[in-house]
Amino acid sequence: MKARTRQIAIERTTLVVILALYMIPVLWLVSTAYKPPREIFSSPPSFTFSPTLFNFERIFQLFDVWQLLKSSIVMSLGTTVLSLLLGVPAGYALARSKSRYAIVVAYFFLAIRTVPIIATLIPFYLMMRDIGLLGTWWAVILINTTLNCAFVTWMMFSYFRALPRDMEEAALTDGCTLWGAFYRVALPTVVPGIIASALFCIMFSWNDFLTPMFLTNSDTKPLSVALLASFGTKDITWGTLGALAHFSTVPIVLMALFLNRYFVQGLTKGVH
Amino acid sequence: MKKRTGASTVLIQRGCSALATTSVGSIDFPQRKAARLRFQDRRRLFLIALAVPAVVYVVLIALWPLAQGIWYSFFDYNLLRGGGRRTFVGLANYAELWTDSTARRALINTFVFTFAAVALEFVFGLCLALLLWREGRFNRICLAFLLIPVTITPVVVGLIFRALLAVDYGFFGYYLAEWGISGPRGFLASTSAALPVVILIDVWEWTPLVALILLAGLKSLPGDILEAASADGATALQRFRLVVLPLLLPTVFLALVLRVMDAFRVFDIIFVTTGGGPGDATNSLMVYGVKQGLQFFNIGFASAIGNVAILCIAVLCAAFTLLIRRADVRANET
Repeated sequence: MKARTRQIAIERTTLVVILALYMIPVLWLVSTAYKPPREIFSSPPSFTFSPTLFNFERIFQLFDVWQLLKSSIVMSLGTTVLSLLLGVPAGYALARSKSRYAIVVAYFFLAIRTVPIIATLIPFYLMMRDIGLLGTWWAVILINTTLNCAFVTWMMFSYFRALPRDMEEAALTDGCTLWGAFYRVALPTVVPGIIASALFCIMFSWNDFLTPMFLTNSDTKPLSVALLASFGTKDITWGTLGALAHFSTVPIVLMALFLNRYFVQGLTKGVH
Repeated sequence: MKKRTGASTVLIQRGCSALATTSVGSIDFPQRKAARLRFQDRRRLFLIALAVPAVVYVVLIALWPLAQGIWYSFFDYNLLRGGGRRTFVGLANYAELWTDSTARRALINTFVFTFAAVALEFVFGLCLALLLWREGRFNRICLAFLLIPVTITPVVVGLIFRALLAVDYGFFGYYLAEWGISGPRGFLASTSAALPVVILIDVWEWTPLVALILLAGLKSLPGDILEAASADGATALQRFRLVVLPLLLPTVFLALVLRVMDAFRVFDIIFVTTGGGPGDATNSLMVYGVKQGLQFFNIGFASAIGNVAILCIAVLCAAFTLLIRRADVRANET
């Protein structure tokens, strides 16, 4: 028993030390945002500082923060909703189909998920240019939905496949319509899967940087692009950048923390 | 063995369903049979209708651009030169990937990056997962903290490390330069150290993800086998090597494939910290492809880069699947 408590103590100390080292970059980011500009650039680096909200006031002068936030929200929610609308029914259909080709189609979606975006982005860019959608939120939503919808399809395919058919069959013999068997019987039981899928879609498109960098313009760019684009101009210090980074990281981090359980579920089911 | 039983059950099932339909047909219920058939058809149509939107969407928005990309890769096609005219050049763009030293460096860097990052992430991730295995509130809190790096915007991760490694005021960079470890211009500006540093940044960001996946695998292991092993007097190391690791193999495979795929597509971190430099030291296929395609509008060459990236990922995934299958067979034999 004593050996066991000692082992736990050793484990916990190791974990705390690792975590403490691990969190240095995060703590630096958070603290920088509250540092007055002069102290960020103190050389050698200073460890104490007098906290200020100066940087937060500054970013509202320098950026249209609400517009950037709106872009990020519209694009990530648009992608997520569209991906779920396309992917959830497709996942159900593939899981319930008796056809030999269903599994082939399911693997096709999995393969689409692995495609590096560079291979589709360039032709897609030209396509958007030709139909005049370049620089709009739609361009980003459309291309990000391909990867995300493929991901959702595959994930929901594995959720629905693990679900016994009995309930749906029973509902059907009781006179339930086919749509009813899907919408009212099967769908409510896979809500955790839908939450996990949505969580990953939101995270992916919120953090996405490469596609909006080339597909949006200065009016429609999201936070992630603004962060880098603003960097290197004269007025931007690490402090203002840290403050702006709060807006781009805090919502997602909080969401992941609160929906922790679904996050882990999604990880293990997503690519099986 | 497994295959044969599978095939025979399928045969039996087929036989049963054949029997069922003939018996229904023979007990004169022609209308009912027709209704049943119609129901099966309706069901099939319903399922097809549910799947079609997603399939059509992916074919139109993903497969069609992919096909165009393959087509463009055989042309000398530059939007900024020659009025965007296309000249057929065959495989010249692909040959250039090897003859052009920048492209070759990018290809090699991508492989080095992928293997080094994923190997380190796996080793550290496994250690973390084993440390966190025990149930309890303390470990759950630690887990929550570990989620943070994974969810932070990759652009922000790049910027954080760029600041931390800055030589004049960075938290790490200042001391590394001061103590003469990194040279006066810092790690990110050194041709030999930049790639390892970028790899370490990726390791920082994604090790928790690997740990989370492996932990989920560890928690789903059957407890009785582990208890039996320790009751038989197996040491911790033996238990790990002979019981845990073989059972964990599918999860390990999942984590590795997921990370290899993503590491091969690395863009944000490199683009933000070094932009592919100094020189070509940290250039990766994605960074180079994006530069060629969307900054120099060298569409043909950039398409070739993208296609090679797809090919590499496909080969890596296939290789992993083969390896894991072989390991699985060996584990089953012993």
